[in-house]
Amino acid sequence: MLGRLMLAGAALTLTAATEPWRWTLPTGVQAPHVPADNLMSAAKVELGRRLFYDADLSADGTMACATCHEQHRAFADGNATHGGVHGDPGRRNVPGLANVAWMRTLTWGNPRLTSLELQAVVPVTGKTPVEMGMAGQEAEIARRLARDACYRTMFTRAFPDEGTIDFAHVVRALAAFERSLVSFDSPYDAWTRGDRTALSPDALKGAALFRRSCSSCHSGPLLSDGGFHKILPPSATDPGLREITSRPSDLGRFRTPSLRNVEITGPYFHDGSTKTMADAVRRHPRMSAIATSDLAALTTFMTGLTDRKFTRDERFSLPGEACGKRL
Amino acid sequence: MMKMLSPVLLAMSGVPAAAQNMAAMPQAAPVCPRDAEPIPATLAAWSDKKPLMSATDEASLGKTVLAPGVAVDLALADTPAVTYIVRPSHPGGSVSHGGMLSFTVDSAGTYRVAIGAGAWLDVVKDKISLESVGHGHGPNCSGIRKMVDFALQPGGYVLQIAGNGDAHIPILIAKLN
Repeated sequence: MLGRLMLAGAALTLTAATEPWRWTLPTGVQAPHVPADNLMSAAKVELGRRLFYDADLSADGTMACATCHEQHRAFADGNATHGGVHGDPGRRNVPGLANVAWMRTLTWGNPRLTSLELQAVVPVTGKTPVEMGMAGQEAEIARRLARDACYRTMFTRAFPDEGTIDFAHVVRALAAFERSLVSFDSPYDAWTRGDRTALSPDALKGAALFRRSCSSCHSGPLLSDGGFHKILPPSATDPGLREITSRPSDLGRFRTPSLRNVEITGPYFHDGSTKTMADAVRRHPRMSAIATSDLAALTTFMTGLTDRKFTRDERFSLPGEACGKRL
Repeated sequence: MMKMLSPVLLAMSGVPAAAQNMAAMPQAAPVCPRDAEPIPATLAAWSDKKPLMSATDEASLGKTVLAPGVAVDLALADTPAVTYIVRPSHPGGSVSHGGMLSFTVDSAGTYRVAIGAGAWLDVVKDKISLESVGHGHGPNCSGIRKMVDFALQPGGYVLQIAGNGDAHIPILIAKLN
């Protein structure tokens, strides 16, 4: 009897390990590019989700990815910047994570971080600024995780041909989970799919203004061109894109943020220096004198970019159990 | 009260529990003692902390009692050794520290939980984590890192501390009004 149960358990494990990933996307949205060496699987996303909420990825166990990327804020933070685990001040505003799988650039100022696998390393081991504080401590992360029998099982299921618990596999699992953060359920999305009641007349007026005044940069399904532009006067403390390229003309250029869920991902701009959507609009070139009624319509439209289901979707929340046991 | 706390950043209405992450974020780092601010009278007990060992499960809560108005230096346990009443929404890693204590409120009012670190905290009643009504930073250079306010009715409560880096944390629960 015991043997049969064990065999049944092994079969379940194998099933989960080999379960293919199925994208749940609205009509017209193509699945994102996924690196060939990190294909999606349900087991990998499940592992990445647990890791995303695990503060053992930080020096003293106080800071997880989810500490800064809070689901109820569409995985942004709410602070201008977020300090690091050792108290170092944050440098740039925490971006939301909706639809990061489709983004061709991932950070405010570094166009070379073009994959989520590359980006996920930065907060964990980065030094400018120190965030989670694990530079040089990557093996310690593996050691902490390997103490947990369930993590050992989850890594084996997520990476059946390797099963290794190391930082490289942690990063791959995190990237897989982040790719699963799909958000196409805002009133704006419903409207684009044909629901003519999804946006109010004011929001539609704002949409027209948006098309005229904003959509050259805030373009496409992500409402971002992924490019780097100079909107605010350059500051002495953050050169933006120039820090990477060394080109003087790149001084003060920062990536166009996606406006998906913009209502709940403030404060705004790379330094989080602007608290409201209205003020953020006014700080753009040629927008400082926008009529009050137009500004109201524009922000009403921007409110329609909020995907409330995304902020409550249990597939993205702090997992309550792992390996069949409560956490 | 608000006037007395004018140097202290406070947000006082409709604050979801998750907002306390914002309370943990320091503003521009103060230079101490140059930027020191006075500790308000309500929190005067902060400067005299007594040692207290935290509870690690519901059964041991009866031995870990904190009276409002008394500051303690709470000794925490390793996080894996703590069985919380309610799972914290920011649980802390296995190398972090946490614990619980019980406290009783005799009169209804707003109570401030002041702690000397950025740890996650929950005030729990009947196995439900209560929504806070305000959050903020302590006065510069006071050692108070984070303050979270709760509107409480008379009765018994549990304070949960989760995801603290150090094995000790200063705590004061004070009635504001």
